[in-house]
Amino acid sequence: MELRKLSINQVAEAVCHGEITARRLIEETLKNCSVLNEGLNIFACISGIDALEQADAVDRKVANGTSLPLAGVPVAVKDDICYGVLPTGLGSAAFKEFPSPYTATALERLMNAGAIIIGKTNLDDMSLGSTTASSPDGPTANPWDVERTAGSAGAAAVVTGICMLAIDSDSGGALRQGASHCGVIGLRPTMGRISRYGLTTYSSSFGQVGITAISGENIIHALEIVSGFDKRDASTAICKERLGGKSDFTKVKGIKIGYPAAIFDYLDSSQRDILDQAREEFATKGFEIVELELALLPEALQAYYVIALAEASSNHSRFDGIRFGTAEDAGDLEELYRKTRSRTFGREARRRSIFGTLLLSKGNYDFYYRQALKIWKLVRQEFANTLAKCDLLMLPAVKTLPRLVTEETDFLQAWEDDLFCAPVSLSGLPSICLPAGQAGKLPVGLQLVGRPFSEELLALVGDQVIREIKLFPHGIS
Amino acid sequence: MEKAIKMIKIEITPKEREELDRELNKFLQWLEPMLAVDTTETEQVLISHGAVNVFREDLARQGDLAELQEAAPDFTGGFYLVPPIIE
Repeated sequence: MELRKLSINQVAEAVCHGEITARRLIEETLKNCSVLNEGLNIFACISGIDALEQADAVDRKVANGTSLPLAGVPVAVKDDICYGVLPTGLGSAAFKEFPSPYTATALERLMNAGAIIIGKTNLDDMSLGSTTASSPDGPTANPWDVERTAGSAGAAAVVTGICMLAIDSDSGGALRQGASHCGVIGLRPTMGRISRYGLTTYSSSFGQVGITAISGENIIHALEIVSGFDKRDASTAICKERLGGKSDFTKVKGIKIGYPAAIFDYLDSSQRDILDQAREEFATKGFEIVELELALLPEALQAYYVIALAEASSNHSRFDGIRFGTAEDAGDLEELYRKTRSRTFGREARRRSIFGTLLLSKGNYDFYYRQALKIWKLVRQEFANTLAKCDLLMLPAVKTLPRLVTEETDFLQAWEDDLFCAPVSLSGLPSICLPAGQAGKLPVGLQLVGRPFSEELLALVGDQVIREIKLFPHGIS
Repeated sequence: MEKAIKMIKIEITPKEREELDRELNKFLQWLEPMLAVDTTETEQVLISHGAVNVFREDLARQGDLAELQEAAPDFTGGFYLVPPIIE
């Protein structure tokens, strides 16, 4: 069964109607997984026996007449989201065997609907990055060019057809940039749309659970299941705008797309040409392009990092070997903390913790941190004002094409890669990354940002772009 | 920097310290455009998701003491009994 050519709906119906068992589907998936993982390094760990047991449970429920909307659908989960059966490694050698204390709400809901967790995907050390380059297991290779990084291992799992869904985290753009680098669709939903219970985020204000898939239709089916109020996460919204559930994934007409031309000047020419062509295709297919401005993008990125670093230094203070991680032998508590944290924290984690602590210290707090909180307000206002003039906002997704696996980057270069995604994280708005074309063999993505809780519109437009505008081949062979 | 390193409780070698000092300078220079934005009339964001606490009116209400006492695992002689915490 070639999963990339089917919708989640089709797969679930096939399992519910007995055309294929969930067990058979997962056996095939695990076989693909072991073959492809060898060269691409997608998974930190694979469920194996547990996945087959989950599949057997789904088959029993289906045989008893239970209808499961995600019956047999294989799902990859980023290894900073807790899944009770497998460790939550957080991309860190220190947490490789850390037993997950519980299963995240998003995963519980998927599994209750019949989805099957295949494994935990690779990520940067402590989820601090958008490339997987700092993972102790090595980077995940891009299926389009294995000399380059995938950005998101979940996106690699989807584009190779191993899984139909990837549940990823996104603070400054890891999910969206990975979707761009791998040529799939990645949704970062509105803050509060999906429960973050079970997400180990370094940034409490920006860390969000998102979904990656091969189509907008698949994303919406998954979002219907995972989204909604969760009493275990006080930041979830009681959303009045429910998803339609029976959306017509055909033409969407009369949509105004805001285009901040100056932003696209930050791109290199290969990406610029592709996104210019994408914009023209949108116009010829009936979308109205509205030229407007987004003035605060670089300042928004800087504010993002001030706030995120401050939160990282606070959130990471719990990694002291007492509750989280393994304590080193020591003579006293102070020595235990120092030895354990020195072993646990890699270069990026040390940098972020130290800078974050400095930004929150006396004198710096008002000058840097408070200023960043005010910029945050201005960015939110700017996005709201912009989206009053259009239905969706078009932005690039990535500043550069996927980097070479061996490429050494300066830390600021890496942070500047988040130029187009981090400001959207500040806005709290939903955004989707779609494949818009190829530069040579490398996919180039386009980001669309919507008003609060407009995920369905984003996915519908995304599907229309892929099906009718046909800017990009569907999946990788 | 010394104080921050002490607070995060991580051992930093002298070479790492030199590199961090250089990186910090670069980072603070990088932040200058953000600092130049006039925010004198702007409020700060304090909560990312826009939710607010739901408060009830701060008015005394008549409670039912008997109901509370009955709900307690062990209520004897006017006292709520709890497991010992000191051996």
